[in-house]
Amino acid sequence: MAETENEVEVLVQRVVKDINNAFKRNPNIDEIGLIPCPEVRYNRSPIVLVENKLGVESWCVKYLLPYVHNKLLLYRQRKQWLDREALVDITCTLLLLNPDFTTAWNVRKELLQCGALSPERDLYLGKLALTKFPKSPETWIHRRWILQQVLRECSSPGPDRKEQGDGDRHDAAEKTRLSEHLHRVLHEEMKVCADAAGRYPSNYNAWSHRIWVLQNMAPGNLKVLHDELSSMRQWVSMHVSDHSGFHYRQFLLKALVRELSQSLSSSSSPQHYHPQPSSNPSHSPHKANPHHQANGEATAAGPCPSPPSPEDLALVPALPQLFHQEVELCTDLIKSFPGHETLWCHRRHVFYLWHHWRRDHHYGQGFGSESPQPNHTDAGLSSHPHTACPGGVGLDRVQRRNGQAQEGQDAMEVDGVGVPDPRDTKRLKRGPPGPCPPALPSEHSFVASVLDSCRSPEQGRFALAYRKWLDSVIGQ
Amino acid sequence: MGTQVKDVVIKSDAPSALLLDKHADYIAAYGSKKDDYEYTLSEYLRMSGIYWGLTVMDLMGQLTRMNQQEISDFIKSCQHDCGGVSASIGHDPHVLYTLSAVQILSLYDNVNVLDVDKVVEYVRGLQQEDGSFAGDKWGEIDTRFSFCAVATLALLGRLDAINVDKAVEFVLSCMNFDGGFGCRPGSESHAGQIYCCTGFLSIAGQLHQVNADLLGWWLCERQLPSGGLNGRPEKLPDVCYSWWVLASLKIIGRIHWIDKSKLRSFILACQDEETGGFADRPGDMVDPFHTLFGVAGLSLLGEGQIKDVNPVLCMPEDVLERLGLHPDLLS
Repeated sequence: MAETENEVEVLVQRVVKDINNAFKRNPNIDEIGLIPCPEVRYNRSPIVLVENKLGVESWCVKYLLPYVHNKLLLYRQRKQWLDREALVDITCTLLLLNPDFTTAWNVRKELLQCGALSPERDLYLGKLALTKFPKSPETWIHRRWILQQVLRECSSPGPDRKEQGDGDRHDAAEKTRLSEHLHRVLHEEMKVCADAAGRYPSNYNAWSHRIWVLQNMAPGNLKVLHDELSSMRQWVSMHVSDHSGFHYRQFLLKALVRELSQSLSSSSSPQHYHPQPSSNPSHSPHKANPHHQANGEATAAGPCPSPPSPEDLALVPALPQLFHQEVELCTDLIKSFPGHETLWCHRRHVFYLWHHWRRDHHYGQGFGSESPQPNHTDAGLSSHPHTACPGGVGLDRVQRRNGQAQEGQDAMEVDGVGVPDPRDTKRLKRGPPGPCPPALPSEHSFVASVLDSCRSPEQGRFALAYRKWLDSVIGQ
Repeated sequence: MGTQVKDVVIKSDAPSALLLDKHADYIAAYGSKKDDYEYTLSEYLRMSGIYWGLTVMDLMGQLTRMNQQEISDFIKSCQHDCGGVSASIGHDPHVLYTLSAVQILSLYDNVNVLDVDKVVEYVRGLQQEDGSFAGDKWGEIDTRFSFCAVATLALLGRLDAINVDKAVEFVLSCMNFDGGFGCRPGSESHAGQIYCCTGFLSIAGQLHQVNADLLGWWLCERQLPSGGLNGRPEKLPDVCYSWWVLASLKIIGRIHWIDKSKLRSFILACQDEETGGFADRPGDMVDPFHTLFGVAGLSLLGEGQIKDVNPVLCMPEDVLERLGLHPDLLS
């Protein structure tokens, strides 16, 4: 069936208008999709709005896309003028069909810069595009640019100030308002990332965006880091192949280690902790720089985070407990879901982090009085295979614990430590009995127990690879 | 009961012979129907698409079948005032397509179709204070762009235009505990990013900073029972990873850690005997991207019918020879 140019133009203009009207009618559209419908139907709109779902009948797309695509490019080459409203509508249609069309996102950046668009609108458009194209690299990239604009707005609010007398009060109120706004934006990003992660397995772009958001919008924020660690527990337990999901936990742990380590030693500077590959002597140590450290502590836009306050510290379990919980989670999942490489990779990461943190903080026997805030949990570490974590924990403990520290445990006896800090007593009371974070011997026992009991050849293979990794990378 | 490891099963009737002529025909005819909806969808990366097509044709000794004049004119009209090159006419410039354009023109030994000084200025202007590179004026940072920047400048003989030491510092800050690299500091290791970073370090003369044994191990763990390679743990194999992973291994001198014959069988099985071209995995639809990386992967494995490919720049070795470019490789 041949279509005249005019027929196509009429059709497309109508479709673009219908899409625009759909958004006006229903500002709560939360998903877009293509409706398989190969039959051309000129007298009916191909735009379908059902509850909060916006659908485009597939027959019209092959006319729609090239037309709006070329129209935008004619504008970009200054061969045809389009007013702001037309640009907004056209780019919206284009990006819902082809969100990797970088230039269309750039047009919207310019519209935003001249005030014709708000950041919220593009965050919304991007969120919609991601429901159909959860990986779309350009959508995530545009999102980060928008968020940078939002951050900029929030850190240097408008120049208009009230008269002198009210200045301070208004400043404080403004600061609170902005901080709450940022908080909402941050949580919305976590939701968008989680949604996209659920729509496509091991979604690298979604998870690396999530990390970027934390690095830039909540640098060094203990509460956010710990909340994320807690809330992700269930998700990863249901997505045991999702390497990106588990990597996110590794990122959170590493960030928590950094924050909590800084609080432990008043003289500690960031260079005490920079996890480098252990067997590379030629690698020069990364220079200490609070804005840009090795392995992902870079905070592009945020100020250098100050050491955590006592209130913040009280929210988070001590590091050994965090590691213990993580290893327990990993152990449970490895036993419940045999043969998943991701889980074994996770174990490597966690053990590596723990091993190096211990080493860097002269942890273990007789660490003495160097650190002003002593760790209370040196029991069960290093050279006691029988007190070491056995790793044979059942699933129900995972469900019960679920990231929350357990209440009402007995305070532990601690050897060789100075006067206990009241904060430590709080943590001691919250902690589980004798947490036993991993050590080389306990890890080897774990491998042995898996090999003994496993019936899956893949599980055996991964266990052996883990043992080989322990021997070659951790060594000693 | 064992778990099914994520992998493909190669059927017994999968292609096992190399069908170079069919691939050449496929590429030569690709995009001849320019009104195709699919073609429009991918216009945002057209310059890279042309690079993939031309490079694979050159590797197969069939470059002359492509229209050099048309392509040169096209590239010229894609250079913007800022010096950067866009993916297609009317699109915005970006370092990705600037590299592809320079690679294409290098194949033809005709980089002066572009204003080279402006290209250099554009790339220099993308470097940030911390040594990283933005992709374009809007500021996205990614180690891929570090690679694009130095590769572009190396091909133009103008590596001195940027602060190489700072650039190295940034890329190294993206090295992870497993020896791999991500897109930014703290990001997950990914074979594509690893290729970019090892390629970058090769061009910058800093390969000794890589932990070759550790990274080599991570890379060879990408090989699955089918023989194919994935890009990260528990992902399906994909022919393009036969390039990203294999080239990285070659760069760090550990290519012998892979089972070459199994990989070769996997790559050959990704061919489409009817249409020509390679797909991401056996039975799927073909495209020029996977066709290049399938052929390039086979070249790295020593396939005699294919020209030698350079693992750092993914271009025929004879082209780089002409340019006097010999990026480092570890042994």
